[in-house]
Amino acid sequence: MDFYWHIIAIACMTIPHALAYNLVFGKGKILHFGPIGVSLVASYAVVLTAMHSGSFIAATLVGILTVVLLSLFLAWLSLRLDQDAFGVMTIAVHLSLLAVILNWNGLTRGALGIPGVPRFSFLSSVQSFAIAAAVISALFVIALRLIDKSAFGRQLQALAEHEWHAKSLGINRTRAHVIAFLVAGAGALATALLFPQYLTFLHPNDYQYPFLVFFITIVVAGNPGSVYGVLLSTILLTVLKEALRFLPLPSAMMGPIRLILFGVIMLAVVYWRRDTLFPKQRSI
Amino acid sequence: MIQLILNGLIAGSLAALMAGGLALVYGVLGVFNMALGQMALIGGYCTWWLHQVLHLPLALSIVGGLTIAAFISWIAFEIFINPFYKRHRFLPLVTTIALSMILDGLILLFFEEKPRAIMPGLKHTFEVFGGRISVEQVALISFTVLLMMALAYVLHSTAFGRKIRAVVQHDHAAMSLGIRAPLLHRSIFIMSGVLAGLGGIYLGIDQNLTPVFAFPITIKAYAAIIAGGKGNIWGAIVCAYIIALLEQFVVGVHWFGAFYISAGYQQTVALLFIILFLLFRPQGLFSSKARSA
Repeated sequence: MDFYWHIIAIACMTIPHALAYNLVFGKGKILHFGPIGVSLVASYAVVLTAMHSGSFIAATLVGILTVVLLSLFLAWLSLRLDQDAFGVMTIAVHLSLLAVILNWNGLTRGALGIPGVPRFSFLSSVQSFAIAAAVISALFVIALRLIDKSAFGRQLQALAEHEWHAKSLGINRTRAHVIAFLVAGAGALATALLFPQYLTFLHPNDYQYPFLVFFITIVVAGNPGSVYGVLLSTILLTVLKEALRFLPLPSAMMGPIRLILFGVIMLAVVYWRRDTLFPKQRSI
Repeated sequence: MIQLILNGLIAGSLAALMAGGLALVYGVLGVFNMALGQMALIGGYCTWWLHQVLHLPLALSIVGGLTIAAFISWIAFEIFINPFYKRHRFLPLVTTIALSMILDGLILLFFEEKPRAIMPGLKHTFEVFGGRISVEQVALISFTVLLMMALAYVLHSTAFGRKIRAVVQHDHAAMSLGIRAPLLHRSIFIMSGVLAGLGGIYLGIDQNLTPVFAFPITIKAYAAIIAGGKGNIWGAIVCAYIIALLEQFVVGVHWFGAFYISAGYQQTVALLFIILFLLFRPQGLFSSKARSA
């Protein structure tokens, strides 16, 4: 039974981050490949502050500040660069943040990770994590549905479909990007608050490149921009990812097989959505 | 100081090969290949396998490694690029991320995570102006220079090069004049894969091959492309050398006589380099600013 609660907890902890990322990559069509980098820094900021100060309020505030600064930096880059160059740049940002975490041994313990992450007092069992994560996920679903239906959602979509036309109608691209990245950062923070506490361990390996591919696959498979679609794909892909543990394969082969499988799924869903993933400009 | 310059030249030669091939692909196809690092490692690992496991002579192993790199590039083009790049030029950016995952998985399955050296053991080094360099490294630098000269000749003095430049300028106009642009696209992508494979072989000869090298290789090549002005092959090559030199100096200099920067931060140098360009010269070092309207 605990395993089912574990699946619910993992899926619900992924949902806020995936839905918020969907706003940038799915709805805004901004080639943002750095969501895991934001989550990484937010997790370390929260955990280190909680462990050093003993206060979760201080930890959350530091987490918010970190996420806001990093999101503003990414939004600035997105305004400054061509789309494809921005995509590559965000991967570079992710790798660089990872390099800093891995090498700043005095603060982060590098590749050893941080054991004994303290938990909120009301989160003591797998069930309590699953319920708390489900409540936060539900709030995110509601919030993102409201954003989707709001004027801001339409503005972001207009910018994604035809930037020049949208700008000529008075839509402020800078404002739209800043808000979208801040929302994506909020999703990353929600996951960062829960996930290390759930494991009671924070390790840089949980924020490596394959997790980015998992997120991109979630958004593309769930229909980019669709809140309910991405919600469903998050649940299904998380179940698939966890179910792979039961394959009768040696543990050394599990990692590579998972990489190959998710790579193939990602290729398949991009092929399936190749006409709608990025908007086509009308030539006539 | 001399040692740092020599190290920079060695690392720069590897990066120049990658960045040159990638800039050519970007210029002709408009595609960013995110699996470049993995394609490089495939070339290196296959050469290691042929030389160290099958005990074939080194030259034959290198030819074998490059042939496999070309074959993988062709397959990658047909599956991950060709069905997508004409629909939207961002699609291959996403599909090549999938390719990078698949190649990563295959590398881990077939070659494992252990370091693999194509030529293990001590290298024969000698002194140059106070710095030490091995025979293999001299061969590596010289061969890159020769290869770049050959590439310059092909691009600027042959009919094939003129066709490439025509396709870069306007592929539809080039096709209307009888140039087979799709075939050229395929050839350029395979050529880029072979150059990347050669870079992987360099890496396997000079150091050890491990799967973790893949993304830093890709990111450095992109940093060179962005800094050199996107699609500008010579700009990318020059910037690849500049970034490699900077990386060596950042971690090799005793800063203010007080501290060294950890080698683990080396890959962030490429990132800082791009950010500086974005601040002061977003169009790149060797491109003029495009008219926006």
